[in-house]
Amino acid sequence: MADAVTELPAPERAVAGDPEAPHAVQTWEGRGVGLGEVIAALPELRRQASGRGAGTRTAVMTIVMVIKPDDDPEVVAAPIRALGAHHPCRALVLRPDLDSTPVIDAREFLWQAEPVASGGGHPVFFEELYLHVGGQAASHLSSIVGPFVLADLPVVMWFPDALPDPADPLLRLASALVVDTRVAVDDRGAIAHSYRTLLELANHQPVVDLSWVRLQPWRELLAGLFEPEHIRPFLQCVRSVSVSGKPGPRHILAGWLMAELDLRARELAMSDSKHVEINLEAVCGSEEGVFQVRRDDGTRAVWAKASLSNGMSHSQALPLPDDSLTSALSAAISNLRADRVWERALAAAAALAS
Amino acid sequence: MSTGTLPANPLAEGLDSVRRAPPGVLVVFGASGDLTHRKLLPALERLSRRRLLPAAFAVVGVARTDMSDDSFRDIMADAVPGAGPGWAEIIKNSVYISGDYSDPDTFLKLKARLEELDEALGTESNRTYYLATVPDVFAEVAWALGKVGLNRPEGGGFARLVIEKPFGRDLETARGLDAALHEVFDEDQIYRIDHYLGKETVQNVLALRFANAIFEPLWSRNYIDHVQITVAETIGVEKRGSFYEKAGALRDIVQNHVMQVLSLTLMEPPGSIDAEGIRDEKVKALRSVVIPSVDEVANMSVRAQYDSGWVEGNAVPGYRQEEGVSRSSQTETYVALKLLVDNWRWAGVPIYARTGKRLPKRVTEVALQFKAVPHLAFPKAAATGLNPNALVLRIQPDEGVTLRFGAKVPGQAFMVRDVLMDFSYGAAFLEEPPDAYERLLLDAMVGDPTLFIRSDEVDTAWKIVQPLLDAWASDDPPPVAGYAAGTWGPRQADTLIERDGRRWRTP
Repeated sequence: MADAVTELPAPERAVAGDPEAPHAVQTWEGRGVGLGEVIAALPELRRQASGRGAGTRTAVMTIVMVIKPDDDPEVVAAPIRALGAHHPCRALVLRPDLDSTPVIDAREFLWQAEPVASGGGHPVFFEELYLHVGGQAASHLSSIVGPFVLADLPVVMWFPDALPDPADPLLRLASALVVDTRVAVDDRGAIAHSYRTLLELANHQPVVDLSWVRLQPWRELLAGLFEPEHIRPFLQCVRSVSVSGKPGPRHILAGWLMAELDLRARELAMSDSKHVEINLEAVCGSEEGVFQVRRDDGTRAVWAKASLSNGMSHSQALPLPDDSLTSALSAAISNLRADRVWERALAAAAALAS
Repeated sequence: MSTGTLPANPLAEGLDSVRRAPPGVLVVFGASGDLTHRKLLPALERLSRRRLLPAAFAVVGVARTDMSDDSFRDIMADAVPGAGPGWAEIIKNSVYISGDYSDPDTFLKLKARLEELDEALGTESNRTYYLATVPDVFAEVAWALGKVGLNRPEGGGFARLVIEKPFGRDLETARGLDAALHEVFDEDQIYRIDHYLGKETVQNVLALRFANAIFEPLWSRNYIDHVQITVAETIGVEKRGSFYEKAGALRDIVQNHVMQVLSLTLMEPPGSIDAEGIRDEKVKALRSVVIPSVDEVANMSVRAQYDSGWVEGNAVPGYRQEEGVSRSSQTETYVALKLLVDNWRWAGVPIYARTGKRLPKRVTEVALQFKAVPHLAFPKAAATGLNPNALVLRIQPDEGVTLRFGAKVPGQAFMVRDVLMDFSYGAAFLEEPPDAYERLLLDAMVGDPTLFIRSDEVDTAWKIVQPLLDAWASDDPPPVAGYAAGTWGPRQADTLIERDGRRWRTP
């Protein structure tokens, strides 16, 4: 049974205490409804809020999120909502539950976010839909998602805590997939298998790994140490590499170094640590070089240093973006391309873990 | 720098979509000044935060103020409260040289420190000299750099000279400055900044025109009735009264910012979006602008000064009551111009440009006013709210694009009225665009001159405004009109456009 569209009396802040956070201006809820009712309610949300300037949609993509039956969609979808004016998108949160009653329950929100760019601008309005799909329909999500996809815009599917099945027909609607290997691949023994699954997925559409996105500062700084011409040749005479960190991130970084520097497994050591650290030693003629990238405990920055035996050295540091899912997701969906470097790293890491 | 045999950096693959500065040193002349503190150092810090600067990088400050390395490092730290960790690494490498620009010893000391930095950091004798000084010393500093060979670094690195407008006070002094710089630096080593070109939305004029098939066919005399360019400020001369007295709106805004926006709007599609492709077409567009004779100036321009009035709810004094301004000043704070363009695309399409201080709203925009439909099929009464279409490129603030077109008013009757289709950058893109200085500093270090002004552009822009300067300096100058602060300019400016049967937009 469907409710009427309701104007929310006061801004419901998406992030408590953050006045910049988007707030819901209209909502609609229906239990045991047909998909047609859910679809019809969407433009009604906008029509009801047209006095606020919500008549014009600004959207850069559709994000589809598939969550577990016991997840609270409002909590799990919060990172998408917090993207707000950065990436206004239609968010569709699917909670399939094969074992529950065969009904569709839906809730829709129209959110308002203030523009992020300096100099003002218009508020941005975007929609969020939660669909609880019970019974057999849970196995046919592609038939449910189709009508909600915004035409002419990318469809990003985010799987926050598991890897999708490459055979799932839902993936055919996706322009790109977002996964998080740090969360989805938490079993050391399953690393090799999971990485191969990801490579299979990447054969069909771009896959963005939030864990790889978070590792970018380490990669950038290490690559940056070799920018000067006189240091570049050290990359061709690497003697040893050690990578420490949690399983998953350290495997991917190790795979990256193996693949890009053409290293053998015995030249590479891995160990467990709270934060990622890379140490690389190279000897070029009579000169030795030590290259290190590390994050110290209690800091949100990564440091890099190159030291040569002739006394020359240079160092650099980068602040880490905040540790939120929103931040990683924002970076991920800004660059929805196939990432061959990540794929090579994954393939090498899978071989290392086998 | 020879890169022929340099092996690739495999670790940079996948990270190289972003341009980064190569190893090098940024030498800032005028390092103790306001521009350095307020703009350059914060821009550098933002670049380091995004890792667009290399690890082998340092800033060398040069100025007359007596100061130690440590004091300069303190200034660098103070300039960016809450800086990221990378800034501390840059500060650690940075040094300061105090000395007079007329003293050769200053430049010998500079040369020695640069060589030390090359040795310690591996900065590969790449130098970018940023002249954050008064324009009067541009030629002197350039000459002194050449005298000690810093215009051609011995280590095979690059040497680039960055200067900021004004480039001369008129055509003659601009040519004099150019000749002095070219004695020491080649044109491809000189980076002339007009920070307007560093603004994303100014660059977006190129994207809008040349990345979309739907606009360019309309972008000509066939469909466009006229073009309006507005650069409006709400502020007055602030504390810069004595500077402004010698500049005025024509030199301060029209010769550079307005001409840059004008050339991007009028230019033909370049063969490629690269430095020479774009700059060649910009110069061609400026060369097509009809240069008025001194006698025509009074008919095609209006100059004015603001009187006291109210701006944004505040009572403000008139220009002549501002600090540092003569009570009998003739310096213009407002200019309105009508320009014509003699080329195939724009013949017969007037360009109306206006700029002023103490106007009601801070706004920069280019409005293309389209011709009215040849025949209105509806009764006149049904289209009273309908105006010709307009495409407005909003450069600042609220950057974006607006298209005005007619739509049917819902109801039984067939009524048509204007509606706006708005695109706002802030609503569609993730990142806060880089500040203009951030962009231009990086471009200079990377060696991309696309957004810098070439010598012939400066020269052509001065040629267009020189007759106005001559007429205003003549024995019988056109009068300086007045306008109340907080209004859109003097009545004479309205007359300038209304006698052609058109009106200024209200942005």
